[in-house]
Amino acid sequence: MKEVQEAKDCPAKKARGTFAPFQKLSCYLSTIENLPKLYAICVCLIIVFGLCSVPFISYEEDQLYPKSLDPSSSLDPYDRGGVPFTEPAVIIAQYPENAPAIGYVTAYLTPLSQFLADYTFHLGTTIVAHPGGILDEILYYTRGFDTIVEASILFCAFAIAAFLYRRSKE
Amino acid sequence: MIEFFAEMDIIYKIGLAVAFIAIIVAFSAIVRQKDEIHLLIIIDLIEITGLVVIALLATDLAEALILPGLVVGVAEIMAVSELWLVKEGLQNVRPVRRLDIEVLHTAPPIIGALLTAYGIFLTGFTGGLIAGLGLALFFLGKATTENFLSSETASGYAWVLWVLAFLIFIFFPSQWFLALMAAAVGIMIKVMAKIALVGTMRGDGS
Amino acid sequence: MMESILVTIPFGDMIHYLSGYTGVLFGFAAVFVLLAVISLPEKPVEIVFGTDGYSLKETPVDLAKFQRFMAIACGIATIGAIVTGDIFNFTLFAAFIGVLNIGIVAAVKNKHVLSAAFSYGLVVMMGTVPLFAGAAIIAATTGTLSIWELAAAGGVPVIAKLLLLIGVLGEGMAPFYIGKAEITRASGAPYILMIHVSSLLLFLRVVEILLTV
Repeated sequence: MKEVQEAKDCPAKKARGTFAPFQKLSCYLSTIENLPKLYAICVCLIIVFGLCSVPFISYEEDQLYPKSLDPSSSLDPYDRGGVPFTEPAVIIAQYPENAPAIGYVTAYLTPLSQFLADYTFHLGTTIVAHPGGILDEILYYTRGFDTIVEASILFCAFAIAAFLYRRSKE
Repeated sequence: MIEFFAEMDIIYKIGLAVAFIAIIVAFSAIVRQKDEIHLLIIIDLIEITGLVVIALLATDLAEALILPGLVVGVAEIMAVSELWLVKEGLQNVRPVRRLDIEVLHTAPPIIGALLTAYGIFLTGFTGGLIAGLGLALFFLGKATTENFLSSETASGYAWVLWVLAFLIFIFFPSQWFLALMAAAVGIMIKVMAKIALVGTMRGDGS
Repeated sequence: MMESILVTIPFGDMIHYLSGYTGVLFGFAAVFVLLAVISLPEKPVEIVFGTDGYSLKETPVDLAKFQRFMAIACGIATIGAIVTGDIFNFTLFAAFIGVLNIGIVAAVKNKHVLSAAFSYGLVVMMGTVPLFAGAAIIAATTGTLSIWELAAAGGVPVIAKLLLLIGVLGEGMAPFYIGKAEITRASGAPYILMIHVSSLLLFLRVVEILLTV
């Protein structure tokens, strides 16, 4: 264990000479194992500043894709109105002119979810599992590019993991 | 209709202060922790604090942003933990011996098939998750790792399907229904393949 | 800064754009993607100490293929981060670049490189927290994520800008590790260049965003 520690120390520390403060600092910085800690300290300092500035941050009431609750609806937390295929839901998007078919995806219900919506009050909790709904509208359509980037991140991370794993099997 | 944004400003301020305190606590844990594997686990946990700040938005947009955030965290822990195994030379060190009891031979295929069927029936993200869990359970019950490459390829095709769906949405908005179905099937195959991959990635030396 | 727009590419809620400044960055990134596509991995020379002898280290084909894939993907992600017109999309691209930078060095079988890559991986994972937090605070305080709207309206709190900056600092920290570790001596050298290029361009782009909004 001591050897490992020594290997990580920089030459200046091994020489056991006099230590200038700057030398100490550069010694700390040049040890790569310390960089995550250094980064964490930087983030902490910024967040402390953020905590002080919280009273000056105000919430903008005029948001995109606002949420509305209607406990009497069977689609409760995700009921945004509209009729499948005929009447699109009213969606407040950033650039509605770039999305001509906006609202149709939100209003769509699969036959199964239509059945559940007609006879139970629990579809709202599972609507994200069906094609259609407000989240699919945002994830696939208006902010679809986000989802493509996200999928690519997952794809590449799994490619890395799979490459390392497969190589160990050879 | 419930008025949702009553006093939203003050709620947001309180929530943000709490989230910031949580971030400070989480990051100070990294400064104190010395062991690498614990660092990795703590960092996987602190990504939740970032999602908390997104959730404070309290709109449908927030829900749609949390999903990519969550997936990025999962992807990174996957790559970095495999890297850690290589770095420490822990791949193939201890062959994992399967618990050899009757229920592990019979139950996984049945439960796996049920979960997979239900997941395909649901489609979409959650459907993919459920179907993937079913497949993971099935592979965990088996000793071999033969379907590793094929599930990787399947997820590649699913990715292409998804990009195609997005392009249909953008260039042919009138065909939104086709695009929606393509995206739902694509994401289901993709998530399913990824989760199933986890089921086949084990440390067994066979 | 929003006056000199050359091209706009609308994608639903996001309008990607190229201004004169980002156009230069785009060209720079495109050149390095092309380099990664056409170049072969170079062979590092090891001098035998005290003699005139030397040996060439060959890069295994599968490793070179993997590194090339990661380098090209990293270049494309950098281009994405340059053209994007949406704050959250930008943070996703930054996280993407972080993951791909790990990927470029992760496949090298060298203990020093791997330990540097792991340490960098930890910073990349941490960096997503301030990135997403910054984007979310911008959305909550201004009600939009589009750089176009933000440039017109303004009012982004300082803390959100600082969080974005520190987040990008975490994702683009790879060159710090290269300064110390033996990453630059790892085989497959032309692909390693992409780490520097992506970090540099990411910094230049975030400075542009922070000055615009």
